[in-house]
Amino acid sequence: MTTRSDIEQLLARTSLGDRAAFSDLYDATSAKLFGICLRVLKNRSEAEDALQDAYVRIWQKSASYAANGYSPMTWLITVTRNLAIDRLRARKDGPADTGGLDNLTDSGPTPEAAAVAASERRQLGVCLDELDDGRAEAVKGAYLDGYSYKELAAHHGVPLNTMRTWLRRSLQKLKECLSR
Amino acid sequence: MTAPEDHSEDAARAGEYALHLLDAEARRAFEQRLKREPHLRQLLREWEEHLALLAEEVKPVAPPPLLKSRIEERLFPAGSGSRRGLWGWFAGAGLVAAVAVAAVVILPRVTTPPAVEPSFVAEMAAEDRSLVVVAQFVPETATLQIQRHTGAAAPGRALELWLIAEGAPGPVSLGVLPAEPAASLQVSAELAAQIAGSTFAISDEPAGGSPTGLPTGAVLAAGAVQEI
Repeated sequence: MTTRSDIEQLLARTSLGDRAAFSDLYDATSAKLFGICLRVLKNRSEAEDALQDAYVRIWQKSASYAANGYSPMTWLITVTRNLAIDRLRARKDGPADTGGLDNLTDSGPTPEAAAVAASERRQLGVCLDELDDGRAEAVKGAYLDGYSYKELAAHHGVPLNTMRTWLRRSLQKLKECLSR
Repeated sequence: MTAPEDHSEDAARAGEYALHLLDAEARRAFEQRLKREPHLRQLLREWEEHLALLAEEVKPVAPPPLLKSRIEERLFPAGSGSRRGLWGWFAGAGLVAAVAVAAVVILPRVTTPPAVEPSFVAEMAAEDRSLVVVAQFVPETATLQIQRHTGAAAPGRALELWLIAEGAPGPVSLGVLPAEPAASLQVSAELAAQIAGSTFAISDEPAGGSPTGLPTGAVLAAGAVQEI
């Protein structure tokens, strides 16, 4: 099992140009990050391209990680997800068919991940539950599937501006709850 | 003083940015603000940390085995000068008779820094921020001003500062940090020319600094040099 501090060490060594550490970092994290690319892009070949871009970026930017205060997995996930969504938004023909999404979703976190983040996860769960009906799904859809306002509005059957207002209010409520 | 409604506005905006919901123009505008407003960076960091928990439900999927070598080929084309890291360098040090040199001891700063504004800055921070050192470089005077904000060397050990220039085969010692938190160092013209695009790092070394001229202990903090 790779712990948070293992990943931190690997990132620190990667930032100094250590290729062996980069290789170990890839082995420890690529399945998770590939899962995220697949979830956002819902297309295997595009997800492979996004994952390549992500590790190139991770190699190049690992030194800035040390200064920005993110926890190591959050930083890796954020870099990867941003690149996957850039790719998604750049698609001319709109989002792919969302079929096949189910087999990419697990029923829950792995036991070790659950233990590490249990209290934070519980807090997020509680705060998401406090949102009005459908709003938590919209936040999750935006984060995990990279849905745009337009897509969210279509999914939830509301006008675009309503969706925007809903989501902004939900984010404010969520932030307030998470800061408690 | 920020009004509460502005803060709430900013919190929502940072969340929208983290979720990638802003259009291209609003995204760029927010990125401009991020550069100037530390509280926005803090809000964004908080969102990213919270939202990343949602990724726990994403099932890991092993990528095809060839992908790793494709990435390595992109990053390290065969025949290119290798960008060896501290560890790679150290591991290979037996091959290149490393000259045993005593590390320079950086002098504490006794005078106030000159009025010239630094052009480059690097924050070296341990992930848990138990060690935070900021180095600022003034090209006009080739002076590196070092400020240790948090943390210190372990008893009987020393903190040694390294410069890893872009594309350089290995790190160069800038010296051992003094016990005082503020220090300054005159950098040779040769090293001064390499500061843009480089990375600074601090390693844990025996008292007096690395005996080999190469890092021997753990890298405690590192940070890329940013142009101000």
